Amino acid sequence: MMKSAMKLEKRKRFNRADWRTWTIFLPGMLFVMLFTIYPILKMFIMSFFDWKIGFQQTSLFIGLKNYVDVLSDPIAIRAIINTFVYALVTVPLQMIIGLAVALLINGIKKFGLFFRLGYYLPVITSWVVVALLFRYIFANTGLMNYFLIDVLHLMEEPISWLSSRWSALISAMLLGVWKGIGWNMVIFLAALQAVPLNLYEAADIDGASKTQKFFYVTLPSIKGTITFALVMLAIGAFNTYTPIAILTGGNPMHQTEVVLTWMYFQTFDALNMGYSAALSMIVTGIIMLVTVLLFGLTNRKKVA
Amino acid sequence: MKKDNYRRKKTWFEIFRYFITLIGLLVMIIPMYYMVISALKDNATTFIYPPDFFPSFSVLDFKNFIYILKNVLFLKYLLNTLFVAIITVLLSTLISTLLAYSFARLNIPGKKILFAIIISVMLVPGLALIVPQFELASMFKLTNNLWGVILFYTAWVIPFSTFLLKGYIEDNISKELDESIFMDGGSVFTVYRHIIIPIASPSIAAVSILNFLFPFEELGWSQAILKSDGIRTLPVAISMFFRAHSQTDWGYVFAMTTMAMIPVIIFYLLLQKYFVTGLSSGSIKG
Repeated sequence: MMKSAMKLEKRKRFNRADWRTWTIFLPGMLFVMLFTIYPILKMFIMSFFDWKIGFQQTSLFIGLKNYVDVLSDPIAIRAIINTFVYALVTVPLQMIIGLAVALLINGIKKFGLFFRLGYYLPVITSWVVVALLFRYIFANTGLMNYFLIDVLHLMEEPISWLSSRWSALISAMLLGVWKGIGWNMVIFLAALQAVPLNLYEAADIDGASKTQKFFYVTLPSIKGTITFALVMLAIGAFNTYTPIAILTGGNPMHQTEVVLTWMYFQTFDALNMGYSAALSMIVTGIIMLVTVLLFGLTNRKKVA
Repeated sequence: MKKDNYRRKKTWFEIFRYFITLIGLLVMIIPMYYMVISALKDNATTFIYPPDFFPSFSVLDFKNFIYILKNVLFLKYLLNTLFVAIITVLLSTLISTLLAYSFARLNIPGKKILFAIIISVMLVPGLALIVPQFELASMFKLTNNLWGVILFYTAWVIPFSTFLLKGYIEDNISKELDESIFMDGGSVFTVYRHIIIPIASPSIAAVSILNFLFPFEELGWSQAILKSDGIRTLPVAISMFFRAHSQTDWGYVFAMTTMAMIPVIIFYLLLQKYFVTGLSSGSIKG
C-alpha cells in the first residue's frame, strides 16, 4: 500500500511541467515559431498591404486589393488551373501504377531487390536533374519525338512539346508520374507486407478469386496507406516548383505557370510582394481545403 | 491432369509477371541510361537528329566530365551541399526528437493545440513563405550564406519529422520504460537520452535520410539565398550552369548531373534498408 502510494506520488511529481520539461520543449518550439509560424503570420499581414521591401519604404494598407488582383489576373487563374490539372492527373496515376508495381514485385521471388532499386532510382534523383533530362528528351529533336516518329511511326511531324501549354504540361506530368512511381511502390510494398496472411487464408477457404481477394482483403487492409499517400502526394503536387521552373520556366507567355512558379516570378521579377503573399495565402487555403476533403472522403468510406 | 494444367497456368502467369515488371523497369531506367550515354558523348553531337541511342564505344569518353571538373567548381558545390545536408540533419534530428518526445509524453499545457499548429504547417508550401522568410534571413544577415539555407531547411523539415517520430515513439516505446527511469531517480533528460533516442533510432535514421536528401533536391529557396558562385549548392549550380551555357551544352550538363547523382546513389546503397522503414512507419497505420 505504502509503496504504491509513494509510486503514485512520485509519478505525479514527474508529470508536472517543471523547468526540465520546458528545457526539452521550448527550444524546438521557439525555433519553429521564429522560422515558420512568424513568417506565416507575417505573410498573412503582408497580403493586405502594398508591401515594399527595404527600410526606408512605408507599406500602404490596401485591404483586399491584392486578393482581388490575384483573382482577376488571368495568369494566376491559369496557374491555379494548371496546378489542379497537374495534381488531378499525377496523383492518381502514380498511386495506381505504384500499387500495381508493388503487387508485381511483392510476388516476385528472385531479383526483387534489383527491381526495387531500379524503380526507386528516379525517386532519389534530384528534381533538377530529372527535369533537365526530360527537357532534353522532350526537345524538338529529342528522344520522345524520335520514338514517336521513327520507331513507332505514330506521327509524321515532330511535336514541339515544350512550346505550347498542354503538351508542355503533359511532359511535366509524365515527369511527375515517372518520378513518383518508386515512392508509391515502396510505401505500398510495406503496406502489402503488413497485411495479415490469415485474411488471405480465410478468403481462400471461402473460395474467393484473385480479384475478389484484391478488392475485399488487400484494398481495405491498406486503406490507411492509401489515405496517407493521397494526402502527401496532393500536398506535393501543390508544392510543384522545380519541374516547371526547369522544363519551361512558365513559358511560353506564362502559359505553363503553376502556382509556385508564378509566385516566384511575382516575388523576384515583378517585385509584387503583396500580390505574392495573397497568392500564397490562396494556395495554402486550397491545400487545406483539399486535405480536409480527402480525409473526409476516405473516412466516410470507412463508415460505409 | 487438372492439377498439371493449373501448374502450367501458374508458370505462365509467373513469366508474364516478370515480363511486365521488366518492361516497367526499362521505362524507368531508359531516361537514366540516356543521360549517362549523353554525358559520355561529344558535347557537339548531343543535338544531332536522329539521337544515337546505342552509340559505339569508340565515340564515348570522359571529356565532358574533365571539362566540368576543370571549369566548374564542382567539388566545391558538392562539399557545400554535403555541409548543408549534414548540419540540416543534425539540427533537425535534435529539434524534432525533442519536440516528438514532448508531444508524445510530456505534460505541456496546450500541447494538443501546439501539435496541431505544427502539423498544419506541413500544409503551407515552403516556397509560399519565401518573402517573409527572405526578410527574416536578411534581418539576421543570413542571405548569401549557407546558414541561411540550413536554418530554413531545418525549419521546413521539422513538422514532418516530428510527426513521424512522435508516431514511432507512441507506438513502440512503452510508458513503463519512462516510469522505471523516473523510479530510479532519473529525469526527463535521462529518459530522452537513454530510452527515446536509442529505441527510436530506426525512425531517426529514416527521417535523417529524408532530410539528408532534401538539400540535393531543393532549388527555389537556395537559388534565392545563395547568390555568389562559391557558396552554391548542387541544384543551384546545375541550373545556373545550364542557363549560362545558352541551354544547349547538354553533354556538359549531363556530365555534371551524372556526377551529382553518384553520392546520392552511394548513400542509398549504404542505407537502403532504412529507406523503407522510414517511409512506411508513418504510413501503415495511417
